[in-house]
Amino acid sequence: MTSAIQQRRGGYLDRPSPSSLADVVEVILDKGLVIDAYVRVSLVGIELLTIDARIVIASVDTYLRFAEATNRLDLYEHGGKDLGDLAQSVTKGGAEGKVGGAIDAGKQKVGELLHGSDDDEEDDSPPSSRASGDGQRRSRPRKAAARRRPQPDEGE
Amino acid sequence: MTTSVVAPCYVFGVVRAGTPVPAVDAAGPAAGLRLVEAGDLAAIVGSPPGDRPLGRAVDLVAHDQVLGAFVAAGTTVVPLQFGALLADESAVVEDILTVRGDELRAELEKVGDCVQYTVKVRYEQDEVLREVLAAHPEIARLRRRSDSDSAESFDRSVRLGELVVRAIEELRPADAGTVLDEIGGVADVHVHDASAPEDVLNAALLVERGQADAFERRLENAAQAHHPRLRISLFGPSPAYDFVGRT
Repeated sequence: MTSAIQQRRGGYLDRPSPSSLADVVEVILDKGLVIDAYVRVSLVGIELLTIDARIVIASVDTYLRFAEATNRLDLYEHGGKDLGDLAQSVTKGGAEGKVGGAIDAGKQKVGELLHGSDDDEEDDSPPSSRASGDGQRRSRPRKAAARRRPQPDEGE
Repeated sequence: MTTSVVAPCYVFGVVRAGTPVPAVDAAGPAAGLRLVEAGDLAAIVGSPPGDRPLGRAVDLVAHDQVLGAFVAAGTTVVPLQFGALLADESAVVEDILTVRGDELRAELEKVGDCVQYTVKVRYEQDEVLREVLAAHPEIARLRRRSDSDSAESFDRSVRLGELVVRAIEELRPADAGTVLDEIGGVADVHVHDASAPEDVLNAALLVERGQADAFERRLENAAQAHHPRLRISLFGPSPAYDFVGRT
């Protein structure tokens, strides 16, 4: 752990330590040697959440978030006040591995819901270090929108 | 600690017999962490909680922490997929160590003295958006000047976002290739599909322990060279999750 912290001080490479829960899920879920004989345990929806997060890529929800980000960029260039502050915080966050705005909502959702499903006393899991910018105007991902998965580009 | 013969066993992974068990501060199925040995193989085994089903986030984290502790101790580990729960120790010996013995030996051989790193490369949001707008004037023209909730405005936003996402996706292959080339010198690579539009690369890399320092330095250099356009994150060293059980 100390070596990881020292590495971080090195500068540009982001080495989250400890990794956030969402990162752990992403790294280990559905990987490793499969043993047929075992009783597969219930994953309390973790697998489903992961699939959900992937579906988000080609959804209207994603497009809207990128449109929002693009429009915000526009205003920032024209000197909009709060938007300037926001852009600045995103830039600063770069070196610290902070998540850059609403675009990360897919993964954020996995993290949030996992925390939600883990409400027992052992909740000393890593404070999802990468996604700590909650104070900002992060739009909560809308689950229903992600699930519905409209496909506007079909048949065009 | 007494271990009942009929106690269910959670199996984390497989190591060579005689491997010391590291101290692990983990919850869930990591209780009573021990090895169940058969011949030259040993299963890393813990006792699952008796009062609730497995599958909570703490269990998943414990799975990673236990295997990670073996890797940190320099042990060659074959990680099992999360969720391997067997009836008792004799089932561990028979169903895993015996029936799958040859395969497990081959996997241990394959992992050898390597560890896994996971590298994630993403576009820095504002940087890539500026790049896209500069390269695509037709996209820049679609930007909205005022916030209105009309249906027309909605459609326009969807269209804008879709074009931006596609423009970013067009940048991805070249950037992913560049970073992979710069990383170089790894034993094996497993590239995952992008899970977000701004993902450039999400790859598991198998690296020999002796090469780990040089590998980390190359990544640090790449992260510096591509700053601020790309943000590079490194996870690991971890067990070779991505490189076992692949047929």
